[in-house]
Amino acid sequence: MNDKLQIKKLYALSSENRKFSFSVPLNNKIRIGKREYIVQLKSDDKFGTYILWKNRKYPVEIVRSRQNKYEILFNDISYTFTVETPFSLQRMKVLNSKKGKVEQELVRAPMPGRLIDVLVREGSTIMRGEALVILEAMKMQNEIQSPVNGKIIKVHAKTNTNVMKDDVLVEIKVE
Amino acid sequence: MKIRKILIANRGEIAIRIMKTARRMKIRTVAVKTAVEPLAMYLSFADEIFDNSEDTSEIPVFLDIEKLIAIALETGANALHPGYGFLAENAYFAQKCIDNRITFIGPSPDAIYKMGNKTIARKLALQNGIPMAMGSEGNIANEEEAVAIASKIGYPVIIKAASGGGGRGMRIVRKAEEMEKMFFIASKEAEKAFKDPSVFIEKYIENPKHIEFQILGDAKGNIIHLGERECSIQRKHQKLLEEAPSCALDEGLRKKMGKMAVLIAKAVNYHSAGTVEFLLDSEKNFYFMEMNTRIQVEHPVTEIVTGIDLIEQQIRIAGGEELKFGQDDVKISGWAIECRINAEDVQAGFAPDPGKIEKLSMPDDPYVRVDTGIREGSAIVANYDSMIAKLIVSGKDRREAITNCKMALDKVWIKGTKTTLPFFRLLVRNQDFQDGNFTTAFIEKDLDKYYYNSEYEEMLAAWLATKLFVEENLQEDSINLDFGNGKEMSPWLFNKRMNQF
Repeated sequence: MNDKLQIKKLYALSSENRKFSFSVPLNNKIRIGKREYIVQLKSDDKFGTYILWKNRKYPVEIVRSRQNKYEILFNDISYTFTVETPFSLQRMKVLNSKKGKVEQELVRAPMPGRLIDVLVREGSTIMRGEALVILEAMKMQNEIQSPVNGKIIKVHAKTNTNVMKDDVLVEIKVE
Repeated sequence: MKIRKILIANRGEIAIRIMKTARRMKIRTVAVKTAVEPLAMYLSFADEIFDNSEDTSEIPVFLDIEKLIAIALETGANALHPGYGFLAENAYFAQKCIDNRITFIGPSPDAIYKMGNKTIARKLALQNGIPMAMGSEGNIANEEEAVAIASKIGYPVIIKAASGGGGRGMRIVRKAEEMEKMFFIASKEAEKAFKDPSVFIEKYIENPKHIEFQILGDAKGNIIHLGERECSIQRKHQKLLEEAPSCALDEGLRKKMGKMAVLIAKAVNYHSAGTVEFLLDSEKNFYFMEMNTRIQVEHPVTEIVTGIDLIEQQIRIAGGEELKFGQDDVKISGWAIECRINAEDVQAGFAPDPGKIEKLSMPDDPYVRVDTGIREGSAIVANYDSMIAKLIVSGKDRREAITNCKMALDKVWIKGTKTTLPFFRLLVRNQDFQDGNFTTAFIEKDLDKYYYNSEYEEMLAAWLATKLFVEENLQEDSINLDFGNGKEMSPWLFNKRMNQF
């Protein structure tokens, strides 16, 4: 029984580091201020899967789930959470304080398409918002821009090749 | 010539839009079935279907001039409606139709050619005293010439495709160093989209409004306008939301711009429906941009505020009829807003998100009109544009139209792809939008976030993630957690389990 532990709370951490805590066992009541509201997960032929909350239906979809990481599409907006226990949260805090912030940024293809032009070379310095590659998809030429300031450490993108969604195009060392 | 049967040289919502009016006018229609969308919704609106799904040609049939002419002749269609996009603004195609005694429902090949070539259109506007932004005399040969002209008229400038439209082949250049790259991109994009790499340069009007006038002209030379549309809400030069009328115009300016729009149409003896696009700067100076010689995506907002069926007018005019009303008979009443619900990911800079539409339901309130070519089970394919539906909402004034729009947006239910809905939900709640205080730079400059979520939505999503985690990791009858055994779980399995919940 060494690896089994009593859990009383779970935390969903958003990709923007917002923390939502829920008590375990998880029930379908959510307290807001003084009132409790019932949240229901339902599914039928007309609407598919949805959440019923305060008499309104919201479409939901599970886009991805991998280990404790979940991408949820809720009312057409996607959210990514990692679900942590009090213990894993504590462990994460310790690790984070040792590691510091993320240093490397992978720029991925946001959609499948054809690379029309690659505008950066390995070693070049890049500013946030600067164009990295031109990706043609659905009749549009899309500039894929750098999300960070940094230095290009690797260019995977090749002109006149096709890429799939989420293929890594460029690796940037964040500066 | 009396129009008896129309070949619809298009697909999707516009094919359906045309066929609905044709049916009301007791004119037969032919739609073309393709291998890409053999089960498409538009096919069920046609009186006849021409099956072209065995065609293995590289070019889509809607771009294949010879094939379309052959189909019209074979099916006995004595008219053809090109819709928008594809061959709608191809002068050669219009001429080919005429040569084969098929009535082209649109303007003359000459008008299409002159307005389609932006350098000729600029010259015509200049000759007619239409206000215009400064720019190059004609096309530009290379980036050196571009730099030379840009330094004369002053940065920023905009590079535009001579044969362009719809935002493709367009790039803004703010300093000389950017010219080489932008010239290359614009010219390449122009060649790909319009088979013509030639580009020209104009002074870029900073933060303008995009205002366009709907034109109707008949073959007898009567030309009128049906008021303006406000199309400033754009991203990557592509329109997302349009309104009629525009709160930026008063009656005086409307008259002045409308007169200019009619004047430019007269310069090419325009007949059929067309649109004259202007940029309006913050001092209310307006500049002629281009004329689109087709029915436009956003035509429904004009139909709502004028009560005029533009497709019907196009068909009547093509059949040789004179306009039954004059400029003074056109009355604008109420307000209409169109939201283009596209399969796009607003959280990823409006990147296309093709896929199968699993669920679709649209509001049916009296103030809502929906133009769509998509139903449950339809796919948004990468071959075509990403439009799912046009949600057109009306009200007695702008305020009421926005309120109605807000309600209607909450009733739209789409599952299967990400959509532009969260963007519109944000827009209708935005104070500047409500005040009419926005320009074509609004999305890129004035918004720090492209979607709306109500206060509790993220928390509810977090609850769902937590629920999944519990389902996956905690055993049913205990609150013990099995560490280190994170497994992948299929959403399908989740759905199955949740159905029992």
